[in-house]
Amino acid sequence: MENHKGVPKLKDKHIMIAVDESENAKAALLFVAGFIGGFRGFRATILSVLAAPDIDLFDSDGERQKWIADKRESLLVVLERYRQILIQSGFPKTKIRTELVVSDDRPVSSVILEKQKEVCSCALVVGRRGISKSEEFLFGSVSNALVHSANNCSVWVIEPTCGIE
Amino acid sequence: MKKIAGSGYVGHTQQSLRDLASQWLEPSRIPKKFRIITDTSEFIRIDYDDIVILDNSPFLIRHNQKEGRFGMDDQPKFWVKSAIDLSDGSKKIIKLVFHERFQARIGDLLIDCVRSPLKEARILDLVQGHVNFMHGYPVQDTASNIVRVIDFIPGQTMADYAFADVIKHEEYFATSFPAILREYIEAVMAILFLHRHNEIHGDIRRDHLLRDATTNRLRWIDFDFAHGPNENKFVHDLFGLGNILMYIAGGRDITIQVLNDEMPHVRSSIAEDDFNIIFHNRIANLGKVFPYIPEALNRIFLHFSMGTTFYYDNTEELLDDLIRAADAVNRA
Repeated sequence: MENHKGVPKLKDKHIMIAVDESENAKAALLFVAGFIGGFRGFRATILSVLAAPDIDLFDSDGERQKWIADKRESLLVVLERYRQILIQSGFPKTKIRTELVVSDDRPVSSVILEKQKEVCSCALVVGRRGISKSEEFLFGSVSNALVHSANNCSVWVIEPTCGIE
Repeated sequence: MKKIAGSGYVGHTQQSLRDLASQWLEPSRIPKKFRIITDTSEFIRIDYDDIVILDNSPFLIRHNQKEGRFGMDDQPKFWVKSAIDLSDGSKKIIKLVFHERFQARIGDLLIDCVRSPLKEARILDLVQGHVNFMHGYPVQDTASNIVRVIDFIPGQTMADYAFADVIKHEEYFATSFPAILREYIEAVMAILFLHRHNEIHGDIRRDHLLRDATTNRLRWIDFDFAHGPNENKFVHDLFGLGNILMYIAGGRDITIQVLNDEMPHVRSSIAEDDFNIIFHNRIANLGKVFPYIPEALNRIFLHFSMGTTFYYDNTEELLDDLIRAADAVNRA
C-alpha cells in the first residue's frame, strides 16, 4: 500500500499478548503498554485461551458447557479491561483486537502458536509464572513450550517484577 | 454401553436366583432370601448376600474391596464390591458410581482429580482383548449409573512382585530384574496404546499394575481417575511409569531413610539433584546407590530427578530409552 504521495506505507509490527486472569499475565500486558504504548507502527492482539477441562471432569456435558460459559464471561471482562489499558497507553483503538479461544484437549501453547501464525505477529508476549521445577514437571510450562516451539516469531517472557508499572 | 429398560430385570424370582446360586455356592452359603437391587445409587447400603441385577444378569455381592497403598489401612471402598456372576460363577469386581472430587497430593503438589465412571467405561471398551489391561464392560443400572463389571484378576501387585527386601539387591538385579523389566516394557507399551488413542490411565502406581497369575502378564487396573487441564496431559502417566521403573530397579523405594539405615556409606555421596523431582525423600539417581546399574538405565531415572533439565514429552521417548536400557541390562 502507498500513501497519497506514493510512498510505500510501513506495515505495522504486530504483537500478540497471551493472557489469562493471573497477575503474571497482567504483568505481561503492562510491560507491552509501558514499553511500546504511544509509539507509532504497532498493533496488538490480546489473546486468551480458555483451557476447558475434559468432559470426564464433569457429571454432564451441560455442566461442562456452563463452566465454559462462566469462564468465558469472566475472561471477556479481563480482555476488555486489558484493551482499555493498551488504549490508555497510547495504542490506537483501531489497532487493538481481542480474541478468546476455547482449547479443547489441546495444549494452550499450541493454540497460542496457531493464532500467532494466523495473525502473523512478530512477537509473542507472555507472563512468567515463576513455578518450581516440580510444578513445571508435573503441570507443564506454557512459556517454556512457546520458547521451544515458536517459529518466525520472538517470544518475550515477562517477569512479574520487571519494573514496568 | 448396555442400558436396562423398565424394572431392570425380568424372569428372576427368589427361587430362580437360589437355583442359580446353588450351582456355584455350597448350600450353607446360600441365603434364604435375597435383597434384589437394580438402582445402585446408594452403594453404601449394598451388602453381603445382596443380589445386584445389571442388564438382567444377577451378581451375588460378597464383600467391599479395601483401599490400596495410599488409603487408610483396611478402609473399605464401599463403591467397589467383589461379587459372583450367577450366570457363569465367575468372580467379578463391581465398580459402582462414586462421584468423588478431591485434590490428590503428589509430593508437595496438589492436583484436582475426579473419579470418572465415563472415562473408565470408555477405556474398558477400548482395551477389550488387550492382554495388558483389566477387562470388563460398562452397564447402566436403572438409575443410569454407569456401573463397571470387571473380571477378577488373580495375582500380585507390582509392589509385591518386584520387592527385593529379602535378598541382596545385586542378586535381585542380576537374576530377577531382567525378566521383570521385559514384562514392564510390555506394560509401558500398553500405556502407549492408550496415549495413541488420546486416553490416559490417570493413576499409574505400582498397586495398579497386577501380574496375572494365569497368564503371567502384567495388567493395568483402575482407569477412573481424571485430572484437570495440563499443558501435557500425558505427564502424570509418564511420571507414574518412571516411579514404577525406579521401584522395580531398586526392588523397593530407595529413600533417604533406607540409605541412613542400611547404606550409610552411600548417604554422603547423595546430592540434592539426585532426589526424585516430586518425592523429595526418594533417590532417583540409583546409579550412585547401586553402581552396577547400567548407565543407559540410570539415564532414564535421571529424567525424573531434581537435577534434570530434560523431561520426557511422551511415552515413545521413554519406551525407546527403555528398550535400549533393557539391552544394556541383559548384556550386564
